[in-house]
Amino acid sequence: MLKKLITFSLHRPRAIMWVTLVCVGLALMQYPKMKVDTDPENMLPENAPVRVFHRDIKKEFSVYDMVVVGIVNHKNAEGVFNVKTLTKIYNITEEIKGIKGVIAGEIYSLSTKDNVQQGGVGEVRFNWLMPSPPQTQQEALEIRDQAQNNPMFYGTVVSEDGKALCLYIPVERKNLSYGVVQAIKKIVAKYPGEEEFHFTGLPVANDQFGVEMFKQMAISAPLAGLVIFLLLWFFFKSVILIVAPMLIAMATVIITMGLLIGFGFPVHIMSSMIPIFLMPIAVLDSVHVLSDFFEKYPLYNDRRKTISAVMEELFFSMLYTSLTTFAGFFSLSFTPIPPVQVFGIAVAIGVAIAWVLTMTFIPAYIMLMNSKIFANFHSSADQEKSPYLDKVLGFIRRVVSRHFRLVLIVTVFFVGAAFYGISRIQVNDNPVRWFEAKHPIRVADRILNKHFAGTYESYLVFEAKDQQREIFIEPQMLRYVEGLQKAMLTTGLVGKTTSLADVVKKIYYELLGGDKVNNVVPPTKQAVAQCLISFENSHKPDDLWHMTTPDYSKINIWVQLRSGDNKNMQKVAQHVAQYIKSNPPPMDVTFNWAGLTYINVIWQNNMVGGMLNNFLGSFMIVLFMMLFLFRSPIKALISMIPLTVTILFIYSLLGFFGKDYDMPVAVLSALTLGLSVDFAIHYIQRVNDVNAQKNDWRTSTEEMFEGPGRAIIRNALVVAIGFLPLLFAPLVPYKTVGFFMFTIMAFSSVATLFILPAIVYWKPQWVFEQQGKGVTCRCSSCLLVAFFVACAVAYVLLGYTPLGWKLTTWLSIFVIVLSAGLCHLASKRRICLNQGGQK
Amino acid sequence: MKRLGVAVFLFLMLVSPVSAQTVDEIINKANLAAYYAGQSGQSDVVMTITDAQGRQRTREFRILRLNVKEGAEQKFYVYFKRPTDVERMVYMVWKNIGKDDDRWLYLPALDLVKRIAASDKRSSFAGSHFVYEDVSGRGVTADTHELLGEEGNLYKIKNMPKDTKGVDFAYYLVWIDKNNFLPMKAEYYNTGGKLVRTVEALEIKDIQGYPTAIKSKAVDLERKGETVIDFTNVVYDAGLEDSIFTERYLRQPPTQWIK
Repeated sequence: MLKKLITFSLHRPRAIMWVTLVCVGLALMQYPKMKVDTDPENMLPENAPVRVFHRDIKKEFSVYDMVVVGIVNHKNAEGVFNVKTLTKIYNITEEIKGIKGVIAGEIYSLSTKDNVQQGGVGEVRFNWLMPSPPQTQQEALEIRDQAQNNPMFYGTVVSEDGKALCLYIPVERKNLSYGVVQAIKKIVAKYPGEEEFHFTGLPVANDQFGVEMFKQMAISAPLAGLVIFLLLWFFFKSVILIVAPMLIAMATVIITMGLLIGFGFPVHIMSSMIPIFLMPIAVLDSVHVLSDFFEKYPLYNDRRKTISAVMEELFFSMLYTSLTTFAGFFSLSFTPIPPVQVFGIAVAIGVAIAWVLTMTFIPAYIMLMNSKIFANFHSSADQEKSPYLDKVLGFIRRVVSRHFRLVLIVTVFFVGAAFYGISRIQVNDNPVRWFEAKHPIRVADRILNKHFAGTYESYLVFEAKDQQREIFIEPQMLRYVEGLQKAMLTTGLVGKTTSLADVVKKIYYELLGGDKVNNVVPPTKQAVAQCLISFENSHKPDDLWHMTTPDYSKINIWVQLRSGDNKNMQKVAQHVAQYIKSNPPPMDVTFNWAGLTYINVIWQNNMVGGMLNNFLGSFMIVLFMMLFLFRSPIKALISMIPLTVTILFIYSLLGFFGKDYDMPVAVLSALTLGLSVDFAIHYIQRVNDVNAQKNDWRTSTEEMFEGPGRAIIRNALVVAIGFLPLLFAPLVPYKTVGFFMFTIMAFSSVATLFILPAIVYWKPQWVFEQQGKGVTCRCSSCLLVAFFVACAVAYVLLGYTPLGWKLTTWLSIFVIVLSAGLCHLASKRRICLNQGGQK
Repeated sequence: MKRLGVAVFLFLMLVSPVSAQTVDEIINKANLAAYYAGQSGQSDVVMTITDAQGRQRTREFRILRLNVKEGAEQKFYVYFKRPTDVERMVYMVWKNIGKDDDRWLYLPALDLVKRIAASDKRSSFAGSHFVYEDVSGRGVTADTHELLGEEGNLYKIKNMPKDTKGVDFAYYLVWIDKNNFLPMKAEYYNTGGKLVRTVEALEIKDIQGYPTAIKSKAVDLERKGETVIDFTNVVYDAGLEDSIFTERYLRQPPTQWIK
C-alpha cells in the first residue's frame, strides 16, 4: 500500500502537486466562514448543569452581562463629585442609552436609579439620585452623600473615597461588548477633561480577547514560519532543500484550519494555536527524509532509487513518531472541555496530514526538481557537521560515560524534588490575566478594583424547597441571609454583597426616620412586604426582581469579588458551603451559584481533573505503542523515563515559582508526552541498530553522540525554537505555551541524551535484550506487560465506568495475579525451553 | 338658509386645521372626562401585573376620589386589600395645582403614617406599569399640544413636555374619542424617537351617564411587561365626604366606604 503510494508519487509527481493544490484551495475557500469564540463559558458544554443554571438565573432575575465603565478624577479635590464631571457623566449616560445592543432601561448609573432618603419632618423622599446634572458644588456633594448612604450604590456605583464612579452597562449579548465599548469610547472622546475612563468586566475581556487573538494569529504564526525557515537554513544551508518542508508545513496548516472551519467549529483560544503547533511538527519528518536523501543520493545517483531506499529506512521511526504525536494530541479528545477536544483532534489530524504529505509530496517534489541541482549536494554530508552541536554532545558523552551513576542519582533527586514542587502547585486562572499587565483592561481592572468593591460578579441563589412561596420575606430568612452576607465579607475576597435584605433594611430605616438603630430587618413578614411595596412606588420597581422572584420563593445575592481569580471564587464558595453547614437555614432551602466568575471555577475543576486523567491516558497509549514498537516491556518503560522526568520537572517549576496552573499549562501536559517521546524512540531504535552492526554496546553508545545525537538535538531545536515566536504574542496564554513548549522540548532532548546512555552504562542488558526470545518466554517481562495491562484496565474502569477506586484496585490486583500465573505457565512452554536450550 | 350654510362651511374651512385653542379644548375635555367624572367616584380595582417572563402578580384595592374643584384639585384615597401582607395599607393623595401633590402612606404593620415626597410624578404606581400620573392625571398645562389629525373617530394629538426635567419621555401621542372625549390610547416616545410605552383603554362602559374606562392596560416596551387594571363596582356621586381624606382616616379606615 505504502510502496504503491510512494511509487505513484514518483511516477505522477504532477498529479500529487495538483491534488495538494486543490486540497489547499478547497481549504482556503472555507476561511470566510470563520467564526470566533472567546467565551470562557464555552469551556463547558452548552448543557453543563452550571451553564443551564446560569442561563436560568440570568433570565429569572433579569441579570445581564455588563460592561463596566469606570470614571476616575484624581485632579479635583472632591473627585468625580463636581459639577463638571457629573454633568459629563450625565450626558455620557444619556448617549450610551442610544447605543445598539445596550439595554438602556437597565443601565446602572447615578442618573438611572432611584434613591430613598429623609425629606422634611415625618417625610420620606423617593426620587432619582441624579435626575439632572447638578448646578452647584453643593448639589454635587449632596449627590455623593446620598449615594454613599445607599447600600445599592456604595462600593458599586460610587467609590468609597468619592474619587470614582462606575457605570454598569448591560448588553444584550456578550459578544456585543467590544462594539459597545468602542461606541462608548467614541462618546467619551467628545468630553475631554481631567477624568480618566476605564473599561472592564468579563464580557469586555472576552470580546477584546477575540480581537487580539486575530492579531496574535497574524503575527505569531508567520513569525514561527520564518523562525523555522531560518533555523532550517542554518542547519542545512540550502534553500531548495528547506522549501519543501516549509510548503508542507503551510499546506498542513491551511488544510487543517480549513477542515476545522469547514466543519463549522469556531476558532477558540485553543484552536487559534493550531498553526503554531503544526508548523514545527509538520517539518520534522520531511527534514529527516530530505537530509537522508541528499546523504544517500551520491550512492545511487538516481532519484527514484534513492527516495525508495530512504523511505524504507525511515519509514518505521517516522510512522511511530507521528503516531505517538498523533496519540498525544488525540488523547485531548477525552477531556471534558469542548474547545480542548477540538484542538486535540484538529492537531492530530494535522499530524496525519503532515505525515501523508511527507510520504507523497516530498517524493513528488524531488522528481520535479531540476536535475542540475543534485550536483551541488554531493558535499551536503560534510555540511551536516556542526562545531557547536558537537561540542555539546562531546561534553554530554564525557559526563555520562564517566559519571553515569551520578547522572542517575541526579535524575532521581530531580524526580523527588519535582514531586515536592508539584505538591505546591496552585490551580488558578483568570481570564482578565490573559492580557499583559500593561494592557488597558488589566490597568482598568487594577484601578477599579482598588476604588470599588469589585467588578467580578457572581450570584448566590437560594431557593425554597417544594416551591414554598413567600419564604424570603420572612424576617428570620432575611436575617439569615444578612448573616451569610456578613460571613462572606470576612473572607476578605468579597468586596460587597447585595440582597433583598439590604433593600428592605434601607427602606425600613428611612421610613422610620433614619435612626441607625432601625437599620435592621423589620420584625414581621407584613412589615417586610409593606416596605417592599413602598419601594415599588419608585421609578424602577423592577429592580426588586433582580433580587427575588415575585412569589418570593427565591433570593439572589449579588456577590462582588475584587479579583477574577478562580481560586478566590472557589474559596468564597467553600466558605459559604461551610457556613451553611454549620449554620443551617431556618427554613428548608437549597442554594446554588451562578455568574461568569463561578462558571470559570467549574471548568477549571473539570480541566484539572480531566487533564490529569487525560495525561495518564496518553501515558498508557504511548507506553503501549512503545511496547509494540520495541517488543520489549523494559525498553518501552525506559523510553518513557526521560519525558516523564522532564514533565515532572517542568511542572514542579510551577510550584516552585508560584506560577498558576492554568488552562494552557493543563493542556500542554498531555500533548508534550507524544512529542517528547520521539527523542527516546530515535535513540533506542538507533542504538540498537548500531549495536546490531558493531555488536559492542560501549562503542555503539559512544557513536550515538555523533550523527543520531545531532539529529535529536536539531529535531528538538526546530520544535522548541518554532514555539518561541509565541513569546512575542500580546496575550499571556500564548506566551505561556511558547515558554513551556520551548522548555519541555529543550529539556527533554537533553534529558534523553543524559538519562538513556546512563541507563545503558548502568544496565546494558536492559536496552540490548537478546532478540529472538519472545516476551512470553521471560517471566519478568511477561509480568511487566501484565502490570501495564492491569494499569490500562484500571484506567479504563475508573475513567469510563462508575466503579470506584477500591473495586478497581482489587480487580487490577486480580488481573496481575492471574497474568502472573499465565506468565509462569507460558515461560515453561516447550518452545521457550527449547530456545533456552539452544542458547 | 343656503347662504348661511355656505357661510358656516366657509367658516369651518377657515378654522380648520383646528386652532391651538381647539386642541387645548379637546385636552381639557379629555382631562375632565377621564379624571373628573362626577363630583366623587369610588371603585374596586384589580391590578394584574405581568412581567417580561410572564410571571403575574395581582394587587387589589379600593379607590375613593373627591373633586375639590373641577379640572383642578382632587383627593384620592387608596385602600389595599390584597396581597394579604399589605392589607389595610393606605395611600392618600391631595392633588394640587401649581405645587407638588401631598402624599401619605400608612403602613399598618409598622403602624406608621409617613408623608411621601417625590420630585416627579413618573414613578410606578404600586409596582405596576402604570405611573402615578396615569392614575391621577397629568396637568394639562404641562405640555404643548398639537393636533396631528383625526383617525376615524379619534383625535390624534402630539404632546411635548414644556419642562423635560423629571420626565422619562420626549413626547407622547394621545388618541381622544371625538364623542365622549375619553383618551383611548397614548404612546410614549423616547429622545431617540422610539416607542417605549403605551397606555390603552380596553373597555368603556357607561356608568350613571359617565362614559368610564373600566379596563386599561399599560405596556412597557423597553423592559417588557404589562399591567391590566380592572375597575368594578364603579359608583359616582355617592356622597363621599371631605373628612375621609384626612390623616385621621389613614389609621382608622372609613369602613362603610371601603367594603
